[in-house]
Amino acid sequence: MELHANAFGRNARKALLDKTLQGALGRTTGRFQAHRDAAVAAFPGFEAARERASRIKVDVLDHLDTYLARFIEEAEKRGAIVHVARDAAQAREIAARIARDEGVTLAVKSKSMASEEVSLNEALQEAGVTVVESDLGEYIIQLAGETPSHIIAPAVHKTREEISLLFERHLGEPRTDSIPELVGMARRHLRAKFLSAGMGVSGGNFLVADTGSVVLVTNEGNGRMGTILPRVHLAVVGIEKVIPRMADLPTFLRILPRSASGQAISSYVSIVTGTRRAGDREGPDRMHILLLDCGRSAILEGKYREILKCVRCAACLNACPVYQSVGGHAYGWVYSGPIGAVLTPLLVGLPEAATLPDASTLCGACADVCPVKIPLPDFLLELRSDARDQGLKPPGEIAAMKGYAGVMKRAGLLEAMERIGGVLGQLFTKGKGIGGLPYPFSGWTERRDFPAPAALPFRKHWKINRGARD
Amino acid sequence: MVNARESLFRRLSAACGGRGAPPGEGHPGEAPVPPEADRIALFAKTFAAADGVLLHGPVEEALSDLGEMLRMEGVTALFFPEDDAAAREIAEALVPFGPFSLTTGAEVRGGSTAVTAGFRTAEAAIAETGTVVETSAGGRTLLPGLIADVHVSIVPAASVVARMEEALAAVAADPPRNLSFLSGPSRTGDIEQTLTVGAHGPRKAIALLLTSPCTGSGTTSR
Repeated sequence: MELHANAFGRNARKALLDKTLQGALGRTTGRFQAHRDAAVAAFPGFEAARERASRIKVDVLDHLDTYLARFIEEAEKRGAIVHVARDAAQAREIAARIARDEGVTLAVKSKSMASEEVSLNEALQEAGVTVVESDLGEYIIQLAGETPSHIIAPAVHKTREEISLLFERHLGEPRTDSIPELVGMARRHLRAKFLSAGMGVSGGNFLVADTGSVVLVTNEGNGRMGTILPRVHLAVVGIEKVIPRMADLPTFLRILPRSASGQAISSYVSIVTGTRRAGDREGPDRMHILLLDCGRSAILEGKYREILKCVRCAACLNACPVYQSVGGHAYGWVYSGPIGAVLTPLLVGLPEAATLPDASTLCGACADVCPVKIPLPDFLLELRSDARDQGLKPPGEIAAMKGYAGVMKRAGLLEAMERIGGVLGQLFTKGKGIGGLPYPFSGWTERRDFPAPAALPFRKHWKINRGARD
Repeated sequence: MVNARESLFRRLSAACGGRGAPPGEGHPGEAPVPPEADRIALFAKTFAAADGVLLHGPVEEALSDLGEMLRMEGVTALFFPEDDAAAREIAEALVPFGPFSLTTGAEVRGGSTAVTAGFRTAEAAIAETGTVVETSAGGRTLLPGLIADVHVSIVPAASVVARMEEALAAVAADPPRNLSFLSGPSRTGDIEQTLTVGAHGPRKAIALLLTSPCTGSGTTSR
């Protein structure tokens, strides 16, 4: 996917002015959150499972070489062909070669964030393959020629009217405002694709080291179809998705659907292992597993390695007040929300996405819901100082922060500033708030409404009111 | 190829360096085990919570309910794998309950336009999650629960296990190519976050719980 992460400010403003998007975000993020909270509350074992999931992931990262080697060995033993790609270019090259060698002209794809990272569809199309997205949300945005705006609900920004228009234009279907009818239309068109496609392309939620299995967690059933019906199966998965053994899988199945959609379990969990065995009625004759490094081994080496624990549930997106306001496109790449604000700079390089760690209020809601306990706010803060150290912050911001720190360290000076600020602020803004300051403060005010300094500073207010209560 | 792999492992070994506990050690904090005795009752509850419809009790009654349900869904074809005796018997016993035709598959895979109910005996069911487990082990087909419009799982009560761990333990040594957990109907919330069933798989998931391996009635015993 093309990278526009550094345009976050501009993208966010556009998103805030987009009435359709604002309606969709208002409808959805709150509902996702409520479902997640209810599912977690209904499951007393959630905290224990979360702790266990986090520990397993830490163990995996500590021994990724061992577990990954085991996974490759076991998968190959069962007939899979395993490829590794260091970067996006290599991944595209390998995928295109697989498609050519297998003589594939039509591929059905189920959702895979990793494949978005490397623009896999484009690579396959260049190799002469028609790639049809089979996840309903992905299918809709593919027809629209857009990119996903949410990890688990890619078409969250599309209304039924827009979707019906798309289906009329691209599929020749009559207009309808019935959602079940729209789903039925997509089902019919995609079923024909599943039955004729030479290759199914999937991602993978987990890779089981002990057995060489790829695990897919889905609700629609497209992941199952694409891995069972076509004669070739290509799974594109990040190297960090390994878990040690099959016995570890239930722990993750207890946290992932609850965190993602508020379900106790998703409709389908598919565990696919190697190629079809002698005597099997279904399953692919050929299975390719494309493992992506694409920056992950470098992350593993550094202080942000725990970000690789992520299971892509999107709970942090729904909990984030910034994401709730601007949606996914504003983040300018595959991953959005708090996970995107951390992972994108780490995968593409901080200079390419230096504004993303600022897209957070550091409220901590993301860390509260993360089912594998990634310290997202700490990482966001740390990335901001990295950006400063690498000279990626404007001098005005650095100067202002230095000045702010200088004042905050001196109680007397702070009090004096508060008093002056209170008087001047009330005088100049008439209590309405500050906006449109000149450079070097314009960078701050163009994206934020800043309240006028209060006539009575907080510390004084505290002293009086607390005093009154005591 | 091999070079790419070797260089990946060089990078990984340098990066992860075997910190912390050695691999292979267990992880503490296991989820609690629900009592075995309650697993059937729990399965009934969780399967319903997953929007599945569970039929149990006397087979004649269950068959009549099932026939009614299939007619309501507009089902015209009953599809069962040739080698699944229980599925065949249930499907055959249903014929008098509606204008249903019987099929063993080829035309269903070819994209038949008939509204189809797919019958299949489950390898196991999981009480914790309301899940029906199907695998390709022994050359068994997954098509009834994959491409039919309505899926009818035949679940022997003895095959209901308490948790996911028990279901997976059976295959952990050498998993079959395909192993599926099916929990309720196929669904999507991708259009306006409105839950809609029948995205790609069955729009209705029914489980017929058989309390003894032999049902004791002429219609379904073998």
